[in-house]
Amino acid sequence: MDPAHYLPLLLGAAWLVPLVSFVIIWVGYSLPQMAGKRASYRTSKLGAYVATGSIVLSVVLSFFAMFGVWLPSNPLVDATHHGEVLEEQHAEDGHAAAQASSPFKMVAAESESHAAGEHANNPPPKYYSGEWYNLCTFGKLKLSIGYYIDALTVGMFCMVSLIASCVHFYAMGYMHDELHDFTDPEVTLSNGEQLKRPGRYHRFFQYLSLFSFSMLGVVIAGNMAMVFVFWELVGICSYFLIGFYIERHSASTAANKAFIVNRVGDFGMLIGMMALWSSLGTFTFGDATDEHGNEVKGVFSQLRTEQNDYQLAPADSMVEEQTRIAPHSVGESASADGPAEYNTAGQWLLLIAGVGIFCGCVGKSAQFPLHVWLPDAMEGPTPVSALVHSATMVAAGVYLVGRFYPVFSPEVLLVIAYIGCITLFIAATIAITAVDIKRVLAYSTVSQLGYMMLALGLGGWVAGMFHLITHAFFKSLLFLCSGSVIHAVHSNDMTDMGGLRKKMPITAYTMLAGCLAIIGAGIPLSTIGFSGYYSKDAIIEQAFSFGSANPKHIILQWAPVVGAAITAFYMFRLWYMTFAGKPRDQHRYDHAHESPRVMTGPLVLLAVFAIGVGWTLPGTNLNVTNLLEQARPVGTLETTHGTLLPDLVVPNEHESHLDKFRVPAGIAAFGTAASGLLLATIIYLWNLLNPDELKQSFRPLHNWLWNKWWFDELYDYVFVKPTLVLSGWMAKCDLKFIDSILHGAAALCRGGSQVVDKLFDQTMVDGTVNTFARGTWDFGLWLRKIQTGRLRQYVLFIVVGTVLLFVAITFVQGYLTAS
Amino acid sequence: MTLSEPVVYLSLLVFLPALAALVLALLPKVTDDALKLITLAVTIMVFLLSLGLMRQGVGIDFQAGVAEMQNAFSVDWIPSFGIQYFMAIDGISFPLVVLTAFLCVPAMAASWPINKHVKAYCILFLLLETGMLGVFLALDFFLFYVFWEVMLLPMYFLIGVWGGPRREYAAIKFFLYTLVGSVLMLIAILMLYFNSDLRALDNDQLVAAHVVESVEAARDWRSSVPDLSAEPDRMQNTFNILALQQMGQDPDLDLFDDEALFGKSIQWWAFLLLFVGFVIKVPSVPFHTWLPDAHVEAPTPISMILAGILLKMGGYGIIRICYPICPGAGYDLAYFVCFVGVSSMVYGAFAALAQKDFKRMVAYSSVSHMGYVVLGFGVWSAVAGTSYNADYWKMGANGAMFQMIAHGISSAGMFFMVGVIYDRVHHRDLDKFGGLFAKMPVYSGLAIGIFFAGLGLPGLCGFIGEVLVVLSVWKYSVVLAVISAAVVILTAGYILWTIQRVYLGAEYKGPHGDALTPISMRELAIAVPLLVLAVVFGVYPNCVLRYMQPSVDRQVEQLAELTPLFEQRESDANPLGDDEQMAAR
Repeated sequence: MDPAHYLPLLLGAAWLVPLVSFVIIWVGYSLPQMAGKRASYRTSKLGAYVATGSIVLSVVLSFFAMFGVWLPSNPLVDATHHGEVLEEQHAEDGHAAAQASSPFKMVAAESESHAAGEHANNPPPKYYSGEWYNLCTFGKLKLSIGYYIDALTVGMFCMVSLIASCVHFYAMGYMHDELHDFTDPEVTLSNGEQLKRPGRYHRFFQYLSLFSFSMLGVVIAGNMAMVFVFWELVGICSYFLIGFYIERHSASTAANKAFIVNRVGDFGMLIGMMALWSSLGTFTFGDATDEHGNEVKGVFSQLRTEQNDYQLAPADSMVEEQTRIAPHSVGESASADGPAEYNTAGQWLLLIAGVGIFCGCVGKSAQFPLHVWLPDAMEGPTPVSALVHSATMVAAGVYLVGRFYPVFSPEVLLVIAYIGCITLFIAATIAITAVDIKRVLAYSTVSQLGYMMLALGLGGWVAGMFHLITHAFFKSLLFLCSGSVIHAVHSNDMTDMGGLRKKMPITAYTMLAGCLAIIGAGIPLSTIGFSGYYSKDAIIEQAFSFGSANPKHIILQWAPVVGAAITAFYMFRLWYMTFAGKPRDQHRYDHAHESPRVMTGPLVLLAVFAIGVGWTLPGTNLNVTNLLEQARPVGTLETTHGTLLPDLVVPNEHESHLDKFRVPAGIAAFGTAASGLLLATIIYLWNLLNPDELKQSFRPLHNWLWNKWWFDELYDYVFVKPTLVLSGWMAKCDLKFIDSILHGAAALCRGGSQVVDKLFDQTMVDGTVNTFARGTWDFGLWLRKIQTGRLRQYVLFIVVGTVLLFVAITFVQGYLTAS
Repeated sequence: MTLSEPVVYLSLLVFLPALAALVLALLPKVTDDALKLITLAVTIMVFLLSLGLMRQGVGIDFQAGVAEMQNAFSVDWIPSFGIQYFMAIDGISFPLVVLTAFLCVPAMAASWPINKHVKAYCILFLLLETGMLGVFLALDFFLFYVFWEVMLLPMYFLIGVWGGPRREYAAIKFFLYTLVGSVLMLIAILMLYFNSDLRALDNDQLVAAHVVESVEAARDWRSSVPDLSAEPDRMQNTFNILALQQMGQDPDLDLFDDEALFGKSIQWWAFLLLFVGFVIKVPSVPFHTWLPDAHVEAPTPISMILAGILLKMGGYGIIRICYPICPGAGYDLAYFVCFVGVSSMVYGAFAALAQKDFKRMVAYSSVSHMGYVVLGFGVWSAVAGTSYNADYWKMGANGAMFQMIAHGISSAGMFFMVGVIYDRVHHRDLDKFGGLFAKMPVYSGLAIGIFFAGLGLPGLCGFIGEVLVVLSVWKYSVVLAVISAAVVILTAGYILWTIQRVYLGAEYKGPHGDALTPISMRELAIAVPLLVLAVVFGVYPNCVLRYMQPSVDRQVEQLAELTPLFEQRESDANPLGDDEQMAAR
């Protein structure tokens, strides 16, 4: 089968099927509603079947794309022993071993013959890209809907659709309350009664379908604009899902918070996009040929050209753009004679673009300082948390960093690493004191996403993406297990739980598997362990490798190690408080029961993946690492040095598997995780230390963590309140200032016209007219005096008048004849 | 006299509502419902006529993909002043004509609850429609001005008679504000008129401007007027907008370049006066305060028209008149234009966030959204530093045009949605709503959809316009680009907060809760097409762009070609060189 033809077809179908389901449910339920009819609950259930069926179809299509098309045409090459390979390579100083390590190495080795023995970077991975639909074109600029498919895309499709289907099945059981008129226990009306409302079963599945569509759209996106489109759609779906209980004020507030905080990140992302768009003139990832047959270079190949040995270098257009914006930032050494490493031409723009794009990822992946929305987002139903807030939406940020990896300069990577490092630490500490079972998991998610960002920032692309995939499985498992518990005891609070493993063994032991996976349980220095063991160890190895190359940034080496201890502690604190010991609330315990099979089934399936997704399929070399290695972004294997920070080194990822990093990292990871686990066991299982006493003795620290480092309050005072005050001022400015000027002007006009009226109209014009009128009147009055009624007098007047007339005419005539 | 003559078809399009208004005025006693039905039928007919332009073979055709003016005709009106009855359509006016004709239909349908002086209302409504269509079609400056004023008066009465409690204040404010704009425009028109000279154009230009039919006719015409070189003072002044454009854009002519006041040229002042006149209509900060008052007081359908069409006249004026006639001044004032646009975006968004009145909130969101339009037209990024690359400016200008259409749909929808609940509960206090989703699920779903179109959600019309404009700004000015990108946060803030306060929540908190009945069929028939269009434009922007883009692109290219000349002129005037200007930027 020709992958260039079938992959877009299969994955495109897998992407669009959930949209079809969304439309079907919309037509089936919303159209009748417009006509004033309500669908029955029985048909409501049908909606769930449509949605679930569609996502299962997506799974089938994705897996077929993976195993039927991708793998046969792109066989995996074993890359698990990079360390050994590298050692051999160093020993032999040849390329033969490297050729065996990956197919790209081979291509690189060929091109290297031209490069006279220099180390070659890895060329672009195998990918298929194209365009489906053109939104608009302006000269050379084009916004379109297209695809970019490499091993990562296919892998993400399988992962996202698989977890989404588990969540769909699970939700069919979990949301059954919505299948009849629902009484919301958390909403009390003003008359003191609980809110009663019709169930919204189908709507939940409708949102899930739209969400799956949007998420798969982010994954398959062939250009930045399309990523942005689906990025926003994912955001709005999560808004709907978090705010699913629209009657609860806390839920709608959390939904708003999630969307607005994400928009803050999108603001940065827009800036990054503008920087790229204005300098490169394209958003497409891959290369393409236009209708005239010319090759149009995508973002990646513009920035990492073959001529430049796939090293990151600002494209000429980028240098021009930076020169245009800020001529002085290009520096003196932009001229050819300056030393190359101080050449900052285009580097600042590259930094802005990289950090900008990363800002979007910070928002979506709930990284510090925008992590505040994710814990609040637990207001949504639990399946939402499992799908949106563990496996897909929050992973989209990490995915985008992974996808955009070739664009990130070492300086940007350092920013990413530090943000990841801060996040993983802050979130892990907050998780220690949280008692809401879902919030513990939420902070754990934030922390694990920090791990991924850290790994990517340190140059561990495969490690970070690997952790993304393992984490998706175990975290969705953990969330679904917590949902199962909540379903059983009708409470989120772990202080209401305890001893539940007897009542709900499947939930308890699948959750245990998830806990072991997240803490990275495994036999140190071996290849046996839970999935998290592989990915987390890979991250810590990379951290050690990075730390040894950059002693300045040693904190980045130890933060993940410390984080591992805290992770182990809070995860087992959670498990012990929930499942072990004695029940704290006997009433709730008595009513608890194992969840129905439609819910436990997905748990078991996910547990299998949580344990084994890091393993190699026996008898083959099929494992996630090898698959990811196939998708390694162009030019990112080689050790690179910073330009703006010349002493920054981002080490080659394969070097981290050398024994000098692998052994101490493995021991450190195991040691800290074990100590965290031990501490949790001492406090919460063996009760050797009383948690309440500990709380008392560490009161200030506990308060600090309990209040989540006061981030919400801080943001409220620094951003929200000033914004509202400012907006109040602006609104007032309209009323008080601008309108006052207007009213003043109006009053002035009126006053002026009154003055004119007084002075001119009334005095002069009217005065003249009135004087004239009065004169006439007075004259008339005077004339009246003549009218005496005496005949003699009248005759006299006539005679005198006639004489006067005669005299006058004579005079006038004389005058006229004279002239 | 058949429909296939432009003069008949376009005149019918424009004057059919006025004729109908005349007939209505002469009609003997008819019931109110019949009056409304007749008016609705007329608006539908006008809409069909506007659609007929798109359809081949029915009357005259409008070809997509052609940049030039189509279906032009001119008839002498007041020959002693060279005033003509001159109309034509191109890609810039066509979408706005169709939008106008379309929006009048739902607006009329939304007029059913009006029961006061129905006959007068219908007559004024139809006169208003004639005025609006005329503004978009007129290509004679005098005719344009007449239509502009014709539209003003019905609006004044529609607000002042059928409005809310402070209607008189709002109506007078609207009228005076717009009148100030008109006066500024009139001054500019006369400035341009008295400095124009048709003889300065060559024969091809005269033909292109539709002054004469053909080159031969141009020769005849030339021999009938005094010779330019012999009698330069006997100018052949003109109101022909296309001819004025030719004069403004011809690099060899300097008709508008004489100094007028304070060392600035005629075209600089004309541009400024026209621009201020138009941004009053847009409206942009700081000339926007008539809008919230007018909207709050105006009845729902008039708000729809006001936001959906009247505001677009300002944007239309900027792209049709300001830039092409006074390109040199446009170049000099580009930063000013963009700054006005960005400040409106920011200011409107902030002010919207603070509003307690639902309609006022939507009104301020219009101020913010129309800021994108001004910004998109102004991003003159085809300069030496970018090697005269006009692509980004094209994107901005097309984005601005698209934003006008998108905003026409979404703002009309938003105002209608506010009107639906206002008709039921008779208040607009945002803090006294809540829980509408439970009581009016269909209405709430549609409303949230429309509001998301305003929020700029992908897949809905607002997104395309906003993203095109915002992405184009960087190439012009990084600072403005960053500020304009930040507006997305504020927009999300005020829209989501409004949705939360009105539609979500457990229960309705205001008076007249019993009146919250589900949406009626009539209301549904208004809201659904608006939402459907919002989706169609958002998913398939080409359905609009294919008509407007050729014309907008051509205009941008023409201006971009002139840029080196303006830069030359600028550096001649500022011998200190570019650095100072860069620093000023």
